[in-house]
This record gives sequence, structure tokens and C-alpha cells, in this order.
Amino acid sequence: MAKVFIYPVNSLILADLVERFGHKPLAVMNQVREKVTKISLDSPPINITPEDPKIGLRYAAVEVPPGVRGRMALIGPLIEDAEAAIIVSDPPTNFGCVGCNRTNELMKYLVRSKDIPILELRYPEAEEYAQEFVYKIVAFLESLPREEE
Amino acid sequence: MTDVKQEEITKVIVISSDKVLPVDAAMRIYESEFPVTVKETCFGLIVTGPAEEVLAVTEEIRKLDKNHIFVKDRGFPAGDERRCRAVRGGGPRPGFHFLREEVQMLSAIGTALDELEAKEPVKSPAKKDKLKVSELERIIEAEIAR
Amino acid sequence: MGDKTGVVKIALVSCGSEYSGVQPEFEAAAEKVNAKFVYPEIDVAGLDSIGKEFGLEVASGDLLLMMARAKAVVEGTTQVDGVFITTCFRCAEGAIVRNEVRRYIHRYSDLPVISYSFTERTTSGTLLTRLEALTTVARRRHLLARETQTGLTAGIDSGSTTTKAVVMKDNEIIGSGWVPTTKVLESAEEAYSLALKEAGVSRDEIQALGTTGYGRFLVGEHFNARLIQEEITVNSKGAVYLADIQKGPATVIDIGGMDNKAISVDDGIPGMFTMGGICAGASGRFFEMISKRLGVDITELGALAVKGMQEKVTMNSYCIVFGIQSLVNSLAKGALPEDVAAAACYSVVEQIFEQQLQEVDVKEPLILVGGSSLIEGVPKALGDLLKIDVLVPKNSHMIGAVGAALLASGYVEE
Repeated sequence: MAKVFIYPVNSLILADLVERFGHKPLAVMNQVREKVTKISLDSPPINITPEDPKIGLRYAAVEVPPGVRGRMALIGPLIEDAEAAIIVSDPPTNFGCVGCNRTNELMKYLVRSKDIPILELRYPEAEEYAQEFVYKIVAFLESLPREEE
Repeated sequence: MTDVKQEEITKVIVISSDKVLPVDAAMRIYESEFPVTVKETCFGLIVTGPAEEVLAVTEEIRKLDKNHIFVKDRGFPAGDERRCRAVRGGGPRPGFHFLREEVQMLSAIGTALDELEAKEPVKSPAKKDKLKVSELERIIEAEIAR
Repeated sequence: MGDKTGVVKIALVSCGSEYSGVQPEFEAAAEKVNAKFVYPEIDVAGLDSIGKEFGLEVASGDLLLMMARAKAVVEGTTQVDGVFITTCFRCAEGAIVRNEVRRYIHRYSDLPVISYSFTERTTSGTLLTRLEALTTVARRRHLLARETQTGLTAGIDSGSTTTKAVVMKDNEIIGSGWVPTTKVLESAEEAYSLALKEAGVSRDEIQALGTTGYGRFLVGEHFNARLIQEEITVNSKGAVYLADIQKGPATVIDIGGMDNKAISVDDGIPGMFTMGGICAGASGRFFEMISKRLGVDITELGALAVKGMQEKVTMNSYCIVFGIQSLVNSLAKGALPEDVAAAACYSVVEQIFEQQLQEVDVKEPLILVGGSSLIEGVPKALGDLLKIDVLVPKNSHMIGAVGAALLASGYVEE
């Protein structure tokens, strides 16, 4: 089972396919969960505190805006854990965790700088491209190592 | 603030099926008496509970129409007021817009999964073995000798 | 504050305050002024084209969301009393959208708007004055409509550097006091006593007192003030009152001891405003340091500056430390004190122009107020830079105290 980073980091389709084909999706939702279910809730809504942009300094320098570093505090650890990645370009919308394009550029760059298998493909523009989209992802997932076996 | 235990997880189950309605899926969970919290949404269900139970429930629901029911994790528990529109002051949470877009694509994704299942399993590209160290040494020496 | 006139709904138009660690600070500031943030409902289908519609095709989804939310507010899909537009400090893409969204809302609605760029260190205290002004404009328009002072009232402006007090009677200033701020209450006591003495009235005779400035809460509570109000609305009112331009548009620039305000005013009511610069290098504090170094009293600095030519000295007070460094360097090279004084005035004005006037639409007349307006070189430099006439009304340094006394008289007739 490989830990697969997905982009967009909150994608239902990608998270589902990765899990469906026997791997672990590294999705931002799990990071958010860790944040919001901590016993001491001190920074609603998603509990990103002023400490997080400081943690984000691990990924971006201080002149990079706090919104980028705060998001990186959530997503950076996922990239560090990643053993493979699926990057979908041109998703139809990008809000919230992926609402800042500077952050998105940085996270994709950090993924690409890692020596891991990466599948890059476009978001299907119409339903007829969905099949190819799914096939490519499945083939990629099947090619990833399954250590337990 | 919703009271949450550390080990609880939440899954979003999106139902894009001709056979199963969100209400059917919800009924299935109620009948099964799994100790989980279920919230019906326009797309399907949100299930919160102890990790093991939630995983079992989602597996159960998925089985109803495997290729047309999709699952992802959710950071916030079902009905968490920090993400509730009414409490938050109108306007859906940012993630909602993307989920809505993805939901429109699900029927096509489901069809693709059906077709995939009907055909031969997708062949994984032949895996190349790693280069043996001795072989690498030979190549390096040959290159240097040139 | 505890205004009981109902919760003010403020649309939060932001690209990621939730991800920057500042959201709780925003919420805390809003709660203190009895306001609530709302997130305007938007039409998802319209998101694809909002960039084109706006004419700003940015890459970040959350910035498009900001445009869509601004549209919802302008079109009335979401009913709000004010708008708070905010993006990360140091983000160019965000700054462009923030400015254009602000202009858009200002152009197509009457809603009060504040625009602000935050860092992870932004605190609720920084936002409080701004939100207080926003909610005042939203909920107290009737109070701000007052154009003449009636009865016997007083105003105290407890500023960061100096404390001012005035006593007014039947639309005239009959007493004033101006002292450096040391201990907030003691200085207020001193300034107020001076004003009362000059006016020849006793404290008990004052029918209503208003307080403003940094120390407004402490001073207001101590003197049992009828009105405790931030300096944006008070100074706007004070400026148009003193300049006798109560109707129509105006721009008010207040160079304070620690920070500056640039306010775009319409009929005496603030619309867009900005507060504070990057550094005290753009404020009255810089003038104090310059005077000290030149060996002149601050009251003489202005006259000196008018005699000099700023072009002869290179000075950039973007940072107060660098500003002082260039002062020392130019003096060492033999620069004349008057040229240095002129350069200092120009540098401060330049900072205001670069950092603040970009965020408000400058409309004539331009009224310059605050202690620094008395340094003659400052209005001159500002006029030269903007190529417009700068108006410095009489008693311009008493602006806050006069505004507070004027607004407080709204409570006399009750």
C-alpha cells in the first residue's frame, strides 16, 4: 500500500479511487480533522493558529504571505509523507485549502521535486474524457508497490 | 462546539446511483445499529463515529452499488457548527463548490469503473527491475573508459 | 461600547484569513463592537465567468470568490451593513483584487468599506478601531449628521503623543488644552483642566463629554463620557466642521503622533479609510526626532522647512531608523538644516502618498489635520506632491477634541 498525495488535495474522486484500488490517499481532510478535533479549540473555524504560518516557514520564507504558510502547515506534512502522487491540472474550481494559487504552485513544485512516481493529467473537460481519466489513474495505482503483499 | 473524541472519524459518502437513494443508504445504517452519527445531505450521507465502525459502515454502503458510491474523508464531524451555514453566517463552506463540481462528474466516473470491471483488469505497465549494482559499475567503467 | 442598537452585519470578503491564524482575532474584534461577519451567498455557476466579468482574471480561486461575494453584496443578494475586505500582506495578486473589489463596492453601493492586509501577527486590537468606525457609520448615521455644536460640551482626544481637550459653547471653542501624553489619565486631567479654566466653566456645568483617541475608553470611563468614539468618525466630523465643508466630498488626512489616517469623506461621513503606515517614519514621531537632531523646537521646524528645498537632500523615512540615518549622513555632508527639514516633511508626505492614498480616492478639498499639520512644511510638501491646494483649518491640531465635543452635543438635547 502506497501513500498517495492527491491534487486537488480535497478531491472526492481522487481520494475515492486511490482507496478503491488499495492505497492510502493523503488528503487534506485528515489534516483538518487532526486540527479541528483537538481537545483545546482555540482558533476556529479550522484551528489554524498564528503558530501555523510559523510552521509553514519550513516550506516558504517569511516574506511569503501568511495565507500561503498557513496552508502549507496543513499540506506540507502530506507531501513529506508521500510515496506517490496524482496531480490533476485545471480542476473546475479551487477554493479554501486550494484557494490560493501561490500555495498550489508551491505544493506541486515540492511534490515534483520528490523522487516519487507521479501521474499528471488534466481534469476531464467533459464526460467522454472521464473514462480515459479513470483508466490512467487506475493503471498508475496498479503500478504502485503493495508492500504487505 | 460539537464534542468530538480524538479517535472519531467522518466520511462523506456521495451516492450517484440509479439503484440506491441516500435515504436507502441511511436506512441501511439505522437498521444495522452501528454506533455512528448519520447526516443526510443532498449528495448522500455524512457519517461520524469511531474509526472502525465508520469504515465498516462505508464498506457496507459501498457494496449497495460499488461503482456508483464514492467516499472521502471529512475533517469536520457531521453537523459541526463551525461549518454550518446558519451559524457561520450564510454562504457555503469553500470546499462545497468543488464537491458540487465533482459530483457532476461522478456518473461518468461510475460508468468508466463499470467498463473497467467488465473488461480485463487493467494491466500494470511491466515493472522494470532495479539496475543491479554490479551492472551499474560495469556501465560506469565502460563510460569512463571511452 | 456595548451598543444595544442591534448587531451590525459585516460581509467578510477575504481570500484566506481562516488559513492565516488571524480569524479568531477578526471575530474577537467584531464581537467587541457587536458586529457579526457573514459570508455572502454566491451563485456557483457564475464563478466561471466572474473574473472576465470583473475584468480581472486571477489564478486563485479564493480571489474569484471575493469578487463573487462583492457582487452578491452590491446586488443585494446578501443584505449587509458594511464590508470588510482583507487579503494577506505581501501578496500582489491579493492586493490587486482587494483594491479593485473595494473600488467596485464603493462605486456601486453606499456601504461603508474597510480594506486591510493582514499578517499572522495581526491582533484584534489593530482591527478594533477600524471595525468600530465601520459599525458607527452603519448604525449611527443620525449622530454623524450633526453639523453644529449646541449647549456646553467638551471633547478629549487622548492621543499616543499628545492629549487635547476643548470646551465648546454654542458652536464656539471657548477653551482648549494641549499637553504631551505621559500617563493617560493624568494627561487627560491636565488638558481638560486647562480647557475648563480657559473657558471659565466648572466640570459640573459641562452637559456632555466626548472622548476619542487611543486612550478613549480609559478616559471616557474616568470622566463618565456620554460619547466614546474612535478617531476615524470623530476626526472626519471634526475636519469638515473646522474647514466648514460639511456637504459633498472631501479627503481628510490626519498625521498623528504614531500613525496616520487617510479618510475619504462624503457629507462628513467616512467612506473609505486607511490607518497607519508601515513605520513611525511616516508620522509625527519622525518630526520630533528630526527637530531634536536639528536642535530646533518642533514648533519652529515648519517655518524652517518652508525655507528649504527638499530636492537637495535624499531622505527616505520608509523606516524611521533609515530616515534618521539619512538625516545624519546629509548633515555630515554639510546639508543645510532648512533643506533637511524640508526633506523630512517631503519624506513623510511621500510615505502617506505611497502607502495610504492609494487606498482611498482623493477628492478635493483635501483637509490636513493633526499636530503635524501645524508644521508649515508638511501641507506645502503635500500640496506640491499631489498638485492640489491643501486646506489646514484653524485649530487643526484639536481635530479629535473638537469632533468629540461636536458629536457629544447630540446628547445635550435629549
